[in-house]
Amino acid sequence: MRHKIMKYISALVLVVCGCLGAIGVSSAPASDPIVVIVNKNNSVDVLSAGDIRKIYTNSILEWADGAAITIYDLSVQDNLREEFSEKVLGKEAYRIAEEWAHLKITNQAKNPPLTLKSQMLIIRKVSMEKGAIGYVSLSSVRDNPMIKIVNTIQ
Amino acid sequence: MKRFAVFPALISVFMLAAAVPAFSADDRLDRLEGEVKSIKQENEALKKRLEEVEADQEDTKQNYSNLSKLVDVSGYADAQYNITNQPGENNHFRVKHLSLFFSKEVQKEWKLFSEIEYEDAPLIDSNKQTDTVSKSQGTVFLEQMYVQYRPAVDMNVRLGRYLTPFGIWSIYHYPPYVPTQTNPMFFKIMFPEVSDGVQIGKSFSIRKSLLDATLYVGNGAGNPGGADRNENKGVGARVNYGTDMVSGLEVGASFYREKGNSGTMQNVYGGHIQYTRSRFQLQSEYLLRRNHPENSGYFNDAAFYALANYDIGKWAVAGRYDWFDNNQKAARNGHYRYTGALNYHIAHNVIAKAEYNRNVFADPNVKNYSEFILAIAVAIGDL
Repeated sequence: MRHKIMKYISALVLVVCGCLGAIGVSSAPASDPIVVIVNKNNSVDVLSAGDIRKIYTNSILEWADGAAITIYDLSVQDNLREEFSEKVLGKEAYRIAEEWAHLKITNQAKNPPLTLKSQMLIIRKVSMEKGAIGYVSLSSVRDNPMIKIVNTIQ
Repeated sequence: MKRFAVFPALISVFMLAAAVPAFSADDRLDRLEGEVKSIKQENEALKKRLEEVEADQEDTKQNYSNLSKLVDVSGYADAQYNITNQPGENNHFRVKHLSLFFSKEVQKEWKLFSEIEYEDAPLIDSNKQTDTVSKSQGTVFLEQMYVQYRPAVDMNVRLGRYLTPFGIWSIYHYPPYVPTQTNPMFFKIMFPEVSDGVQIGKSFSIRKSLLDATLYVGNGAGNPGGADRNENKGVGARVNYGTDMVSGLEVGASFYREKGNSGTMQNVYGGHIQYTRSRFQLQSEYLLRRNHPENSGYFNDAAFYALANYDIGKWAVAGRYDWFDNNQKAARNGHYRYTGALNYHIAHNVIAKAEYNRNVFADPNVKNYSEFILAIAVAIGDL
């Protein structure tokens, strides 16, 4: 009898823990959104997804005030780049990288993105360079006074 | 006596009890100091690591404005197997290309760019007694070599040998990056594949659109290197407009003019269009060449192709319609080619290709034929 009660309590505890875990998971943010960032001194406040695509594919070469754009990107293996490529550029990261390789091999690349190893370095570069643009996860950049978020990609 | 012995024992126990908290407080203090020291050390190590990472990224970034330390080497190669029922042709393996690109930013804004192409597995063998070439096959070709001055991202001047900037395919045709192994039929015929001369390129930003313009002058067809056989120069222009009105749409026009070594004046006009929407891409070109021989009337040759490509993950499927007529005055002169291609991206720089071509001739005396190509193309160079 006692053994049965213990089993019942154990099962109950497991179910309650499972439910709490599920509640915990479901109440967490779905995922950390990607934000596109520029320097705080950049005159641009908002960029549409189309504008960002054009910048990252060299259809736009300069900011509205004529300043040069410096484009920062993550390495092709980075999960955040994969997400950015698919959501903004409409293709897998390695396909976009292939297109850049094609442009570079034909020496037709005008302003190719500069690849950095981490989001931290992108934030640092964008903080320091007026014409820079990059993308990072929202949590890594929240409340940073040196940069401006111009688009949030869900 | 026993009482005297119990008393010091009690005192000892009391003192010990009083001292224990004091020892444990000191221990905690020591432990905390140790932890602070350890955190400081970790902080120093992290700072050092950050500096290393920053130094690393300075080396790895592909900054066009900075001088690179080494010559940048990239390239591609492809080999294939052809199955054909074309009269006079056998099924065969073909070691088609090995192209090596060397580029070097020799100074800020100055760059040397070159491409050496080995086509069809070149072999040059000499007679050991006489030093004369006894056997040769394939082609070794300096396809490009120019010095580039690039004062801004939207402008460049190139002097040397470059791919003739006409339309799309003449510039963008390397096997790892196009879905087909065969070129459209006009390629290398309607205008010279490469030009020895000078070109200037400038991009104009028009609101959120971009207009690329290229002007060039060169020796013309059949006059490579130092062997220009006539005083005439080939001149050309290309414009490409990426419009803001329709996302992914680019349109352009090209012109090339030269009086060849045979005295025939040739004017080549071309129009091109490219539309990219997500994984779908459409690319098309039309070319018309008007030939004016010195002692006879003019004749035109014309070409057209439309290529549709769709990416499905690692797969890409493409279809191309291709037409070429090398003399529109001649009756039943057209050559039509229908191409279907399937690419599989084994890795980002290794692509397996299967391609089917059906060649149809307007002249009933010329036998139609089919061709099936299996190929592997690889690219070298970083992403």
